[in-house]
Amino acid sequence: MSAEAGGRLFFPRWANLARPALAVALVVVPAYLVLLLAYGASPRTINVGYQPHQPVPYSHALHAGQLGIDCRYCHTTVEKAAFAAVPPTQTCMNCHSKIRAASAKLLPIRESYATGLPVPWVKVHDLPDFVYFDHSAHVRRGVGCVECHGRVDKMEVVAQVHRLSMGWCLDCHRQPDRHLRPPELVTKMEWVPPEDPLVYGRRLREATKINPSTDCWTCHR
Amino acid sequence: MAPRWLVYALVLLAALSVVPFALIARSRASTSAQPHIQLILDMAKQPKLKTQTSNPLFADSRAMRPRVAGTVARGELEEDSAVWSGRDGGNWVTAFPVPVTERLMHRGQERYDIFCAPCHGLAGYGDGPVAKRADALQEGTWTPPSSYHTDLVRGRPVGHLFNTITYGIRNMSEYGSQIPVEDRWAIVLYVRALQRSQDASVGDVPPELRRQLR
Ligand code: HEC
Ligand code: HEC
Ligand code: HEC
Ligand code: HEC
Ligand code: HEC
Ligand code: HEC
Repeated sequence: MSAEAGGRLFFPRWANLARPALAVALVVVPAYLVLLLAYGASPRTINVGYQPHQPVPYSHALHAGQLGIDCRYCHTTVEKAAFAAVPPTQTCMNCHSKIRAASAKLLPIRESYATGLPVPWVKVHDLPDFVYFDHSAHVRRGVGCVECHGRVDKMEVVAQVHRLSMGWCLDCHRQPDRHLRPPELVTKMEWVPPEDPLVYGRRLREATKINPSTDCWTCHR
Repeated sequence: MAPRWLVYALVLLAALSVVPFALIARSRASTSAQPHIQLILDMAKQPKLKTQTSNPLFADSRAMRPRVAGTVARGELEEDSAVWSGRDGGNWVTAFPVPVTERLMHRGQERYDIFCAPCHGLAGYGDGPVAKRADALQEGTWTPPSSYHTDLVRGRPVGHLFNTITYGIRNMSEYGSQIPVEDRWAIVLYVRALQRSQDASVGDVPPELRRQLR
């Protein structure tokens, strides 16, 4: 231990390890921080699993799953426009003026219907504003909803299941084969290709000349 | 040799260094209602107003403004009353005011399955999954959807069917805001085909296909 002899301070012998220890620390600590950042700030960690609370306990598992209502009954613009519209209150009232017309869970819907004010649905999937995304370009060429949103028809509350990072977009734009299907089946969540997805997709891609662009201006315009 | 406390401290540090990874792994395996923290903002949130966003400037907070009353959007000047309202003068049109093609029929089938089949069923008997579920609830507010295969509905002119989609009828609500005009005619065409298919005789089948009938 540090001993005092003649008023002089002696470092203990093990203090000689400080120099190599410092060298090791200089390597290990940054490596550790880099790993931590890569893991903790990766799009897979940050983006996936976002499941905000919605103002109405609306369930896709019930409506799209059990009742089998097609996505386009509500998201009517998805084949025509860049934006997949979240349905207006009127769409809910098509049924809920007669079905469960007094349900407490539907109170915000009835209020919105009476006042004309929109229901404050919380956006789940949200790309940065400097990215251009277009639903119709994908849906009309036969990229199913399930490829990017997962099994929405099994979700009580919508959560994000894919990264929606630039790397994720590009993975598919470079090699779309296994994600393609006939365009009339885009909303069929449980559809699987009748043969090897790669072979099936390649045939579809060649037949319909699908060629997703990887130029920067495709998504940043 | 290093003192014992230092060895313990180093071991403890090594053990603690795993904790952040464990926390991250846990958050990766669960969902969160918190929006993620954007480390570098760049221009991710721009002050522009996008589709279906809100703008506090307006009382209803909609950034997308409803159409001003009395204005007409391009391509929506309702010139041809037969096409746009299913009426010719005061009467329902009885012949299709749009060209009847195979494509229109296929379009009609697809749109029918999306918008009508949940209630009216794929074949139009009023037995869709939503209708069945609503029946099972026995709430008393629900009227079963009409079957198309009754003399009343078979006898409806196409203009009347079109009007039923646009404005609804009795207990059925309107679908005019969800379905564009061309698609409404496509659906009417498909409803007519469904009605024919459930009320056909051998005479309706082309002679060369009759042998396939059992
Ligand atoms: C009965 C109407 C209805 C049907 C049918 C429906 N949705 Fe939705 N969808 C909604 C409503 C309302 C919301 C907004 C509330 C929410 O996020 O849960 C929504 C939200 C979503 C979102 C999240 C949007 C966001 O904010 O990022 C996705 C993705 C989605 N729907 C996909 C689908 C898919 C895929 C189908 C078909 C399997 C489908 N929906 C069928 C009404 C519907
Ligand atoms: C095509 C018909 C239809 C449409 C459109 C529809 N629903 Fe429903 N909804 C149903 C049926 C059927 C049930 C099941 C009722 C039951 O069995 O409890 C239901 C149940 C619900 C419930 C649960 C009610 C309760 O008290 O348990 C909520 C909440 C709900 N819907 C919200 C919505 C919202 C929000 C929309 C609009 C985006 C919507 N629904 C559009 C048919 C519909
Ligand atoms: C190629 C991937 C992809 C496909 C296929 C896809 N979506 Fe999306 N969807 C996205 C992305 C990315 C966003 C977020 C867009 C944004 O924030 O600008 C999104 C957002 C949405 C939204 C929220 C409104 C909006 O447009 O921002 C809804 C609703 C939705 N999708 C429904 C659907 C439905 C229904 C289908 C199938 C018919 C579908 N999506 C197919 C990637 C996809
Ligand atoms: C699962 C596959 C897949 C994913 C994931 C995907 N795309 Fe695409 N994308 C396609 C296909 C297929 C096309 C159609 C190419 C064609 O028409 O030849 C396309 C086309 C586009 C277009 C239209 C290009 C044009 O010519 O107008 C844009 C923009 C686009 N994608 C942006 C994105 C963005 C942004 C993302 C990520 C958020 C994304 N895509 C994710 C498959 C995908
Ligand atoms: C298929 C669509 C697509 C293409 C092609 C594309 N990007 Fe991106 N880019 C994205 C998306 C989506 C994001 C947002 C990623 C996120 O939110 O994590 C992005 C983000 C970025 C960012 C911002 C990164 C940040 O976090 O600040 C830069 C810079 C960028 N892209 C540059 C490029 C360049 C340069 C090219 C051409 C070589 C390119 N992009 C091509 C979809 C695309
Ligand atoms: C939410 C359930 C629902 C949906 C979806 C629906 N209907 Fe109906 N429909 C009804 C009900 C209920 C009635 C019976 C109304 C009554 O008798 O009060 C009806 C009646 C009808 C009738 C008979 C009207 C008459 O002449 O007596 C026709 C035709 C019809 N619907 C066509 C359609 C078409 C076409 C669609 C698709 C665009 C559609 N419906 C979608 C519930 C629905």
